[in-house]
Amino acid sequence: MDQLLTISFYGTAIALILIGLYAVLAKKNLLKIVIGLSIMDGGLHLLFVSIGYIKNGTAPIFSPEVLNTKVQMVDPVPQALVLTAIVIGFAVTAVALSLVIRLYRHHNTASIDEIKNLRW
Amino acid sequence: MVISPVHYIALPLMAAFLIPLFGKINKELVRIIPGLVLLYLSYVSVTLMTQVLNGPMIVEIIAGWNPPWGINLVFSPFSGFLVSMMTMLGFLIWVYTYNFKPEVDYSQTTKFYTLFMMLITGTIGIVLTGDIFNLFVFLEITAISSYALTAFYRERDGAEASFKYILIGSFASFFILLAIVILYTQVGTLNMADIAQKMPAVDPYIKGTILLLFFIGFGIEAEMFPLNGWAPDVYTQAPGPIAAIFSGMVVKAGIYALIRVIFTLFDVPAVLNLLLIMGLITMVIAEVIAMRQERIKRMLAYSSIGQMGLVLVAFSIGTREAIFAAIFLMFNHAVIKGLLFLSATYLVYNSKDKEIKELDGMGKLMPFTSFMFALGAIAIVGLPPFAGFWSKLYILIAAADAHMIAVMAIILVISVIEIVYYFRVVHRIYFRKATSNTDIKIPTYNAKFTLLVLGLIIVVIGVYPDLIMGIIDKAAADLLDKQNYIQSVLSLR
Amino acid sequence: MIKKVLIFIFIGIIGFYLVDIFSQIPFGEKRDNVGDFYLEQSVQTLKVANSVTGIVVNFRGFDTLGEVTVLFLAALGLSSIMYRRKKQGEKEVRAKKPSSRILQVGAQIIFPMVVVLGAYVFIHGHLTPGGGFQGGAIIATASLLMLITYRKFKVNHNTVSWIESIAGVVFVSVGMVGLLKGMAFLENFLDVGELNSLLSGGIIGIIYVAVGFKVAAELTGVIDTVLLNNRPDNNNENN
Repeated sequence: MDQLLTISFYGTAIALILIGLYAVLAKKNLLKIVIGLSIMDGGLHLLFVSIGYIKNGTAPIFSPEVLNTKVQMVDPVPQALVLTAIVIGFAVTAVALSLVIRLYRHHNTASIDEIKNLRW
Repeated sequence: MVISPVHYIALPLMAAFLIPLFGKINKELVRIIPGLVLLYLSYVSVTLMTQVLNGPMIVEIIAGWNPPWGINLVFSPFSGFLVSMMTMLGFLIWVYTYNFKPEVDYSQTTKFYTLFMMLITGTIGIVLTGDIFNLFVFLEITAISSYALTAFYRERDGAEASFKYILIGSFASFFILLAIVILYTQVGTLNMADIAQKMPAVDPYIKGTILLLFFIGFGIEAEMFPLNGWAPDVYTQAPGPIAAIFSGMVVKAGIYALIRVIFTLFDVPAVLNLLLIMGLITMVIAEVIAMRQERIKRMLAYSSIGQMGLVLVAFSIGTREAIFAAIFLMFNHAVIKGLLFLSATYLVYNSKDKEIKELDGMGKLMPFTSFMFALGAIAIVGLPPFAGFWSKLYILIAAADAHMIAVMAIILVISVIEIVYYFRVVHRIYFRKATSNTDIKIPTYNAKFTLLVLGLIIVVIGVYPDLIMGIIDKAAADLLDKQNYIQSVLSLR
Repeated sequence: MIKKVLIFIFIGIIGFYLVDIFSQIPFGEKRDNVGDFYLEQSVQTLKVANSVTGIVVNFRGFDTLGEVTVLFLAALGLSSIMYRRKKQGEKEVRAKKPSSRILQVGAQIIFPMVVVLGAYVFIHGHLTPGGGFQGGAIIATASLLMLITYRKFKVNHNTVSWIESIAGVVFVSVGMVGLLKGMAFLENFLDVGELNSLLSGGIIGIIYVAVGFKVAAELTGVIDTVLLNNRPDNNNENN
């Protein structure tokens, strides 16, 4: 059971990261590359949150019911950090998408092979 | 209100949020406010530097929780020196940009100045912070401002350069965040001093992986080979003063982060050898490519990458005099490369492709700007009596003292290559006739003021290097003194 | 072809390393870290029920300030990159065809509910899961709904800009009040109240409400900018 949980959480996160990485490296359409970046970020955030889990722990919120019982709570720090990281990831995606729109307007194509004005 | 390091962050943020509101009162205020903020911060720098040079480093607590539970800012001789350099350089560049392109309309101007101020604040934040996740946040602030500013002009390929930058920059953020994730599982804290204390207990294999991830992530920002593919395009396409900020501040912050992680957080001396090799490769490849460039800003960009390689080599030698030389080189490079970019911008202002051959004969058409460019060129290759001479000399001495004769030889060969391609440009400026239809743009008075001040700094430091050598020496000692850092921060418990 | 092979090899190496490292980090095991201190102090000193909020706004409030700045810069950068000068006589067009009847009727019912939910989430950020960012995003979704449904619905960029600026100023000013009183930046100076009551946590509630407004305004502005500017460049001008 433990192994299954471990594999499913870590495994999904790592799979997402690899899928996103593949999209960034292998796809030609600019939009797909940006989506790939977003997927990579998602995988990383999932990985980060999974780190904080403690077995049989509950959400770190001190609602009136849990105040008097001594329960094990999961680590709240990764959750707070991921909150920040999600917003930052969104901001980068937004800027990247605006660049895609501008590149598309200018060159009338969204393929990364065509947009190579700047040479080595 | 006591002057403290948090002013560096709180004041620009307040100003950035207020600029749109002030703009409704008076349109000129939008351009003036960043300058006032930077001027005040320069004053803060001077005050705080005199304090740390004669006493202990300043550790400021944010939100009232002592480290390791709260975030703290550290103003030590090393970080303080870099921050002071950044604020003053930022102020000078602001003076330069005051009416740089008058045809840009009002709403774009507002955005430009806000992004400009936040770019500088982001780099200052990277240097000041004492918490590794906070470093990541400030790195992202810097990165997003850079992405937006690179693509600022519509008529260039800025969008393409910026997109390339976003791709590579996202990889950098990814690696750094992954490193933080793994690090948190091993040491359970995010405060840099606390991490430094707990690091020896970490499993060596995992420690090496974390270090490698940080190395790649920060290496991208520090323009280490082969992770610097973004740099030439970005420097060429960004507006001139922004390129000066990138080469003078953003890259320095990236190197600072890398160095701080290597020297303070980790205790793995073997990574210095890797740093040495990467630095040498960066330097050699970048300078050789610089020779083949036909466009002036691209040439300056590759030259920047090469100089950063040299800085990394100097840091990796590891002795106190080598680190002294490295910090001196960082300072010199920021000032000199700033001067080169700012003067080159005016030299090719109206040209479309910004090619070197269009600079023919500028010596007669734009004497002041050409002279400043030539001054920068002589300084950067390391000829006396200018500032660049001293930093090159000290690096060579440090390499000699560490018995690294091969490194010395490589540095000397690279210097010759630099002389070749820089003097090629100077030769064209002064000794060829101008082509017929060059449309020159005389720099404005404020631009001339900035160029003049930068040039004066280069000359004065060249003749009296003792003026800042004492400060840099303290900075070098501070970086090497890991225990002092840990004690100063954690003793506030 | 060879490029694809190289890519797969690269992905394989990264995947292998990730699996290797994370197999050494046991899942669900309790480790020694700063989280325990935060959990304890959340109840004792801050009197905030949602300890994640306590961390985000108080213990690591500086990070949140940076995050709010990142969002601000992204909105600014987005509008600067997509900027076009207004040509004469150009009308602002967002959608070409009217939306379906279902959408129009449904939106009228759902819109107020979504706004109330969003406001609830960010006002109660310190009591229940959620907070300023989440609540702001919910409200932005509501305005996205409006933008899709009604062609005439316009977002007043002036108002958005005012809300952004004022909310940001509130956040930084609350922090600076701490400085002016001789305490640290962003230190809590208000009375903390009772655990689990609405007015607990001191400045945490104020900051999160400001963040909620700011995020809602910013995201709405971003959505509208993209929607407005997505016509292709007919004359292929480089303007």
